[in-house]
Amino acid sequence: MAVNMAVSRIKREFKEVLKSDEIAQCSIKLELANDNFTELRGEIAGPPDTPYEKGTFLLEIHVPETYPFNPPKVKFITKIWHPNISSVTGAICLDILKDNWAAAMTLRTVLLSLQALLAAAEPDDPQDAVVASQFKDNYEMFCKTAKHWTNVYAKGPHKFPDFDAKVQRLRDMGVNDFDARAALSRHNWDINLATNDIF
Amino acid sequence: MSSSQTTTVNDPHLDNTTTTNNDTLPNNNSQEPSTSTDSSQYRSSTQYSFKPPPENSKTSTKPDLDDNEEEKRDDSMYVCNICLDIAKESVITMCGHLFCWPCLNCWLETKPQRQLCPVCKAAISKDKVVPLYGRNNEKQQDPRSKKSPPRPQAQRTEPDNSQNYQGFQSFGDAGFHLSFGIGAFPFVFFGSSFNFNDIRQRNGQNGSQFEEDQFLSKVFLWVAIIFFCWLILA
Repeated sequence: MAVNMAVSRIKREFKEVLKSDEIAQCSIKLELANDNFTELRGEIAGPPDTPYEKGTFLLEIHVPETYPFNPPKVKFITKIWHPNISSVTGAICLDILKDNWAAAMTLRTVLLSLQALLAAAEPDDPQDAVVASQFKDNYEMFCKTAKHWTNVYAKGPHKFPDFDAKVQRLRDMGVNDFDARAALSRHNWDINLATNDIF
Repeated sequence: MSSSQTTTVNDPHLDNTTTTNNDTLPNNNSQEPSTSTDSSQYRSSTQYSFKPPPENSKTSTKPDLDDNEEEKRDDSMYVCNICLDIAKESVITMCGHLFCWPCLNCWLETKPQRQLCPVCKAAISKDKVVPLYGRNNEKQQDPRSKKSPPRPQAQRTEPDNSQNYQGFQSFGDAGFHLSFGIGAFPFVFFGSSFNFNDIRQRNGQNGSQFEEDQFLSKVFLWVAIIFFCWLILA
């Protein structure tokens, strides 16, 4: 019963998503990644008045056989600089995706919750400790870094030429693009500290 | 890697999405929820979700709804909150949320230590859900013949008939055993108290009234024992 139920529920949720114009306004999208309704692709737009504004973030959704009694497994495909999301793996720290899951929640409410998480980070309960400490100690730097990541990875509009220049300098030393950007982000864009970290 | 983020989305539309959204659909024919499960159809329809609703979306097609459509709107009231299908063997929680009994039972068994309503997270328990019996109830199979445990019984309170005294007629009633038992004192108390357990458990009536009765019967049992001891000692 469990497998059938997961599939039939996902089908119904799909209908719900495409009927809901509220979803269209919030710019949330859901599509299939395989034909048996177990792998899906979600997309959320960065909420306004946050560093993620105007970015588009892709999510990988895996629906377990025991869905909806157990939560879907969701992670970010798009790289993002956020205290509750791993900057390396995209793993998400959100209670409803773990212990606080309830069977009446749907993929739609999960996507809306993730959008809300982008707007309201919880640095005291971090997934990425480095990002969380930057969020608490140097909020301005956090915002700039998050905007920069949104620009580079999520098609955001805010360019930071000085950040790009620093990344380019590390790349000239043979470091790959993501490692260079991550190291610089971790060290508040201090190129010496980042270089020491890498080599 | 800890987890306690409290960003949940309040979702007033959860229960009636299908109802409200039917009104705002620009074209009911193209959006008619097809029974086809063709995945390519879903793929193409996701593109739709990103578009802003067309301007004429408010000029609802309500009068054009045929009977079938109307039926669907009515049905959507009675959709199980877990499987999102019309609720079968429906039960309703004390917080008012409708489920299929097999669905709710499965949810409660998934999380035996945290028995919460899947919709509003109120504390619920198997004993406190109310089954719904529709008119075509007798067509339903006996739920016990299926894999999931039987749906909980409804609780039925007899209408209050204290105005016309019917004490002698309800001789078999457990409550009256007590008053008649006083003649043959301690022994009948034992009998009646065990009677209590027997009858109530068979009926599945284990509400708070039952607990109260059980407590009372225990008190009387101890009074009887003390009385008995006093008789022996004296």
